[in-house]
Amino acid sequence: MALALPALAPWTPGPAARASAQTLTQEEALHLAFPEADSVRRRTAYLTDAQRVRAADLAGPEAEPTPGVVPYYVAVKGTSPVGAAYFDAHRVRTLREVLMIVVGTDARIRRIEVVRFAEPPEYAPPAGWLSQFRERALDADLSSKRGIAGITGATLTARAVTAAVRRVLALHEVIRPFDGGGP
Amino acid sequence: MTRTTLRAGLTTALLTVATSLSAQQVDTSRIAELERRMEALSREIERLGLGRDVVEADTSILGLGPAASKVYKLSQGVSIGGYGEILYENFADERQDGSASGGRNVADALRAIVYFGYKFDDRILFNSEIEIEHADEAYLEFAYVDYSLTDRVGVRAGLLLAPLGLVNELHEPPAFLDTKRSVTESRIIPTTWRENGIGLFGTGDDFAWRVYVMNSLSGAGFNASGLRGGRQKGSQALAESLGLAGRLDYVGTPGLMIGASGFRGSTGQARELGGQEVEGPLTIWDLHADYEARGFDLRALVAGARVGDADRLNQLNGLAGANGIGEEMLGWYVEGGYDVLSRTGAGARLLPFVRYEKVNTQSAVATGYTVDPATELSVLSLGMAWKPIPQVVAKLAYQVHDNAASTAVNQWNVQLGWLF
Repeated sequence: MALALPALAPWTPGPAARASAQTLTQEEALHLAFPEADSVRRRTAYLTDAQRVRAADLAGPEAEPTPGVVPYYVAVKGTSPVGAAYFDAHRVRTLREVLMIVVGTDARIRRIEVVRFAEPPEYAPPAGWLSQFRERALDADLSSKRGIAGITGATLTARAVTAAVRRVLALHEVIRPFDGGGP
Repeated sequence: MTRTTLRAGLTTALLTVATSLSAQQVDTSRIAELERRMEALSREIERLGLGRDVVEADTSILGLGPAASKVYKLSQGVSIGGYGEILYENFADERQDGSASGGRNVADALRAIVYFGYKFDDRILFNSEIEIEHADEAYLEFAYVDYSLTDRVGVRAGLLLAPLGLVNELHEPPAFLDTKRSVTESRIIPTTWRENGIGLFGTGDDFAWRVYVMNSLSGAGFNASGLRGGRQKGSQALAESLGLAGRLDYVGTPGLMIGASGFRGSTGQARELGGQEVEGPLTIWDLHADYEARGFDLRALVAGARVGDADRLNQLNGLAGANGIGEEMLGWYVEGGYDVLSRTGAGARLLPFVRYEKVNTQSAVATGYTVDPATELSVLSLGMAWKPIPQVVAKLAYQVHDNAASTAVNQWNVQLGWLF
């Protein structure tokens, strides 16, 4: 059973954050994700073994193993949640990439921001390419073998991003952050 | 019940309640402490996973504002990668015309490349590839420093890959389907073409572009089969003649890249004929497209070249008759594959593919020279590429070669490739 912890320091969006490519802090990324929110609360999901197995099954073979401790951020406007943001770190070629993946209340992708990209910039995912994930849900078509187009010259980046999106949506499905405050 | 007994009972009850309340307060306090510890652990896990500089909010460093000081917090360090290919070529015993081909089968450790990069900070990085060809030839394939002027535009200087075509900059074996690079991108765009230079590169939401000034090719290496011999590869390269190379690609549709590239420069490198310097102006152009989506892997390219002063370059190079440099060259190919496992849950990919190519490196020759019919050729390649994981590929292909001299030799190839 996941354990819900109260947010220790609710964060209120301030002035528009900078959208500096590949060098966002977590706070800047959250500003970009939820400009309309009244507050953004940090939560942590502690997954049981059964939940981890289920998340791994949902994520599929393209995704790396799912973590057991999952921090995430829920944005609230008034009394209603508007979305959840997850930060996913993974290896692209030999170096890491950190993405912020925002999921809406309908369990579809709202936004993806490249927070860090340590590989040479020519391998970074272009904004136009990332846009194909918008409104995507976790289904069989969400795959670099099917509905997700590749990036010429950056195949490993395309695979890594697609796998991260599948992993986050699978965790989102298991955590259910909008049901009763989330785990 | 006596009064004494009642008083004793009440006293006992009060003591029990008081003890219980005290225990509840202890439990509440312990739960709060456990929650605090778990939150601290959760935040530490997040810092370790994402990186401390990502999680922690901007703060001023060295008196600079948050934006300016950010460069001091960014991850730095070495990046290592690489790719390579082993190629087995099995040649038919006969040529097109039925004569003995004389072809000897070859197994070659064609390329093994180690990539080294170093990110000094968020604006300056170094990239390089050190290549060993045929197991015993070492080259510096590229080595350059990038300086980012903005998030979208940068300066690049060093030993640069000419930004032409589909393969010259992206030539890792898993990036193309066939077992060998195309003839067009070997003889007209002389892949892997690298020279010393400086230039600008940029990306937008829909377009990517690069423009470089580079030392030009050397016309001393041109011949009837194309421009490949003109590469100076950055090694004590003659820089008497410079060239301008550039490309523009549309990348606004996921999975699609379509664009054009070109090169213009003199290739005489200050060589003289009859006391006069030979300029040898060269123009290379290409149009290209690449599409990868829904299991399909499609690409097409057409490239041409025009060599000025071809007759004078021929004289300098000692070429006569049908051996002269083509004044004009033209080549094109189309290539397509489909992942037959794309509709399955398998992580591997299996792509039957076909490539058809036509090349003529003597579309036109200088007055007084003749055409070698062997320079007009076509190649039909049928094969299969298997990718157990995206970084590793094993390919098998049968190539039907044809040329106007009827001297072409068919072959089948096996290639093992990797990248990391």
